[in-house]
Amino acid sequence: MNRGRLAKYSLWQFRDFVLEKGISIVIIGLLWGYLQLLPFRMSFSPEMTPQVITRLVTLLAGSLISIAVLIALNGIISTDRKMGYYRFMFAKPVSPVRYYAQLFVVHLVGLLSGILLLSAVFFVVAGRFSIWNLMLYTGLVYIALGGIGFFISAASRHDWVTLAAVWVGARILRGLYGNGDDWRSKAVELLPPVHKIDTVAGSLIATGTAPLQDVLWLGGYGALFFVLGLVVLQRRSLAA
Amino acid sequence: MERLPSVRDSGHSSALVIKFQNVGKIYRSLLGNSVKAVEEFSLEVAEGEIFGIAGPNGAGKSTLIAMLLGYLRPTTGTLEIAGLPARAYVERHGIGYLSELVSINPKWRADRALVRYATLAGIPESRVAAHVDDVIALLGLDEHREKKIKALSKGNLQRLGLAQALLRQERILILDEPTHGLDPVWTQRFREIVGDLRRPDRTILIASHNLDELQRLADRVAIIDHGRLQRVVSTGFDHQRESITRYRIVLASGEERLEEVFPGAEAAGKGEYSVTVRSLRELNSALADLISRGALVSSVVPERSVLEQQFREAVGEPK
Repeated sequence: MNRGRLAKYSLWQFRDFVLEKGISIVIIGLLWGYLQLLPFRMSFSPEMTPQVITRLVTLLAGSLISIAVLIALNGIISTDRKMGYYRFMFAKPVSPVRYYAQLFVVHLVGLLSGILLLSAVFFVVAGRFSIWNLMLYTGLVYIALGGIGFFISAASRHDWVTLAAVWVGARILRGLYGNGDDWRSKAVELLPPVHKIDTVAGSLIATGTAPLQDVLWLGGYGALFFVLGLVVLQRRSLAA
Repeated sequence: MERLPSVRDSGHSSALVIKFQNVGKIYRSLLGNSVKAVEEFSLEVAEGEIFGIAGPNGAGKSTLIAMLLGYLRPTTGTLEIAGLPARAYVERHGIGYLSELVSINPKWRADRALVRYATLAGIPESRVAAHVDDVIALLGLDEHREKKIKALSKGNLQRLGLAQALLRQERILILDEPTHGLDPVWTQRFREIVGDLRRPDRTILIASHNLDELQRLADRVAIIDHGRLQRVVSTGFDHQRESITRYRIVLASGEERLEEVFPGAEAAGKGEYSVTVRSLRELNSALADLISRGALVSSVVPERSVLEQQFREAVGEPK
């Protein structure tokens, strides 16, 4: 019964995503795409080869998808707690763990829909590329980055800033110590595998394949934090 | 409104008792400071009761309610509803809850907010519209139904909060400062609505600063202060109870006779006097004497209700 009513509620969750996040993501994507496409068009005019288009999509996706995931995950749990919206919702016979697990999936569907729309526009304006490959990449980044974001949102009220700091911090620390041979280089291996996203992006968007180890590490890391987020939701008081 | 499946209908046979057993709640800050919000709190509320919780600001009322909904975990002790841990009960059966601060997404439309809550409450899709229309009519929100939450006044928002609590015929209702922000007309209407909600298999908990409201609505009231249960008061008049009580007597005529019957009566306005008696019996006998001497009494009311008197005894005079 719980699952049934939650499944029906997913339509409201999707509607909220579109109005509060989806439209922003599409607008940012269009502006970002336009700004990136313009110099490429000028450099490679009159004809953009498939290789050029794939390079452009990879370049665009590398930054846009991460920003889109940050927007999608912003306040996924913490907003309800900060604003007190949870009070009426969870006085109903609903499990917060299931509610937010479903919301995570709904936001993934919403994000994929937004990226699909942007891809279609790009496909028409710029030229042919594999939309499917871009969807795969979006899904992977959502799980990798979003899983960590979900955990932070369950544990902290300042999730967006914390997630951005973790993401950027991991990049900086890897840049500083990642190539060394001491304990610090081993320690940074435990940080979010942001560096693998760049490697995977090029390969996944261009060919639809990527080193399995990298994909598993990225997906596994995010999935682990997603599960930890559910544990926090189960154990931590909503009003705390 | 149609009666929805209740706990008992769904095969749960335990009597619906809310049971706090030595419950304590300590808030700890990151710096290690701690505040005891609730201490050694034990209480049982029976099925069919309208039960009040009264206490000064910061007494622990909201913490008790948050624990009852499973939004906070007790630091010590246990809290059960119908034999289940509080949160497990809520997730299985739901509770009709009106919080002191009505927090609903300001971008939502009032009627759509109710549809959302009805969906979460598990009301079958075919009946959602009817349930929403019913509570909108009951709370007089028809002209506001298409407004965004942010456009509602404090009173209308409070009524919307009550509407969502009444969407499903829950067996437990928790109303935290329910008349906060309501005008006198809707305060009176609220009392009628709560009176109509009384059912032998329903428990209603009302936390309020308003002792007059609790005196009118509740069967018993727990008075709490500094997180501790001070006493539980039955709001009915105890005829056997001998205690010094002050009454306000208004006379239409015969004021000159009053001092003979009530020595020490104090004038409190035009034809109004404040008198002190030790019991109801003494009051009645003195009034009979006064009337027999030719005085015409137009009203006699206690200066403080039973609850107010008990509250002041337990908590002290306001500083």
